[in-house]
Amino acid sequence: MSQWLEIFVHWTAGFGLNYNFLLDAYQRGTLVQGALTTVLLCLFTIGGSLLAGVGLAAMLTSGKPWLAKPARVFVEVTRNTPTLVQLYCAFLVLNMLLTQAVGAANPLTPFAWVVIVISLHKGAFHAEALRAGIEAVPAVTMEAASSLAFSSRQLLWNVQLPLALRFALPSLINNLIDLVKMTAVASAIAVGDITYASIMIWTQSDNVLELMILILSFFGLLSFIVNCVGRYLEARLRMPGYGH
Amino acid sequence: MAIESSVTAPVAWPRRHLGKLLLFTCAALWLLWFAPHSPVLKALVQWSPALAVGFGQNILISLVAISLGSVLGLLVGALALSPLRLLRLPARIWVQVFRNAPWLVLIYFTTYVFPFEIHIGSAYVSFPDWLKVTIGLALPASANFAEIFRGAIGSIPSTQWEAARSLAFTRGQIFRSIILPQCFKRMLPPWMNLYAVITMGTALASLVGVHDVIDTAQIASNTVNMTSFTVVIYLSLMMLFFAYCYPISLITQRLERRYAFY
Repeated sequence: MSQWLEIFVHWTAGFGLNYNFLLDAYQRGTLVQGALTTVLLCLFTIGGSLLAGVGLAAMLTSGKPWLAKPARVFVEVTRNTPTLVQLYCAFLVLNMLLTQAVGAANPLTPFAWVVIVISLHKGAFHAEALRAGIEAVPAVTMEAASSLAFSSRQLLWNVQLPLALRFALPSLINNLIDLVKMTAVASAIAVGDITYASIMIWTQSDNVLELMILILSFFGLLSFIVNCVGRYLEARLRMPGYGH
Repeated sequence: MAIESSVTAPVAWPRRHLGKLLLFTCAALWLLWFAPHSPVLKALVQWSPALAVGFGQNILISLVAISLGSVLGLLVGALALSPLRLLRLPARIWVQVFRNAPWLVLIYFTTYVFPFEIHIGSAYVSFPDWLKVTIGLALPASANFAEIFRGAIGSIPSTQWEAARSLAFTRGQIFRSIILPQCFKRMLPPWMNLYAVITMGTALASLVGVHDVIDTAQIASNTVNMTSFTVVIYLSLMMLFFAYCYPISLITQRLERRYAFY
């Protein structure tokens, strides 16, 4: 391992890039820890955002105004305000109120707040994609299913969502790639993700360019993986007669 | 008969929005009653000019970024459409790199990599932070705009190209007088959407020390140091961005519906 690193450091030194910090065990550890945190953050938020998206989409398409109206307001507010402001509203305002209410027993760490905020933020975007998918389910299919005595929850879960998921998959994957990139915002409230770890390193040793190339390729790799999984799912879930 | 009776005439304006109107009146009365006494609102009024200046900085960044991004994106998009592979390749790399990089990382990149002043001839021209952030936002904007441009050109039916070519138009003429005029209509809604996204992206400028509206709000909440003031100022921050971006999104939706089918 360290042998390969040394070869890499020598090779990049040829281009005038100084990757010596990779040989330092402490700084390398910080960076690896940051990368792990980012991956964890991505996994948690992908799960959370999909759950939030399905819930919001169910509310939006329920046809009951007292469910659909609040969901619509939430989606519009979420889509038209910056993520950073939402994060501050949650972490600096709600977290402060929570701490004042329960004292030091506040169970929510900055990490948890980032997961909640980004999940809800991207959930709103998923909900819009899923809503379009649900509305694209042919009315005939719905009538056939309700004539077979499906209840409205069974209709949503067994008929509409499986079809809607297939219609909405490309835009869902697009949202998830956006989500991966959005996790960089976590560094704003001192969650030790890869961006934060790099800031810590480049304030000590002046090697911004090298770290930037490293972070950009790391995020490129993550979004590439999400993209590949998306392609695989699209091929796997493809139904004859829908899409191409 | 049954069909006719199911269609009711829309209720007149004040009656249709009765609930909203009532809520609004209550809120206004409450504000009139409490505003002169509340220290929170007094502090908010005191800080609002500073917030306005900060938000002006945000809007300036977003406007310069979208202009720069559109010009650059038009160039890159034109390259991506070129029939020569050698010209297409750099455009594709540009688009892929800047669409797939997190905006925050790009903003850090431009802030820390560019020098703080530029040496032109014998004079030193300072290179302020907000301009670096603007460039950091213009880079992904250009990549996105290049894709919008390419998509718009691609969405014009190929029969139009063939018809124009059969009328002996040259490639340049087809672009100028047939394809591009139709593209502008199609590009307008996604372009406005991009502008709204960039405006929201300007919030990241506060992280690299630009004195924008969020920075001002943080300073204000630390200076006043009251719990309720902190709540109010962050919520008003959210409302400020919403009030700016939501109309844009509404107009975008209307334009999309108008240009959807033809």
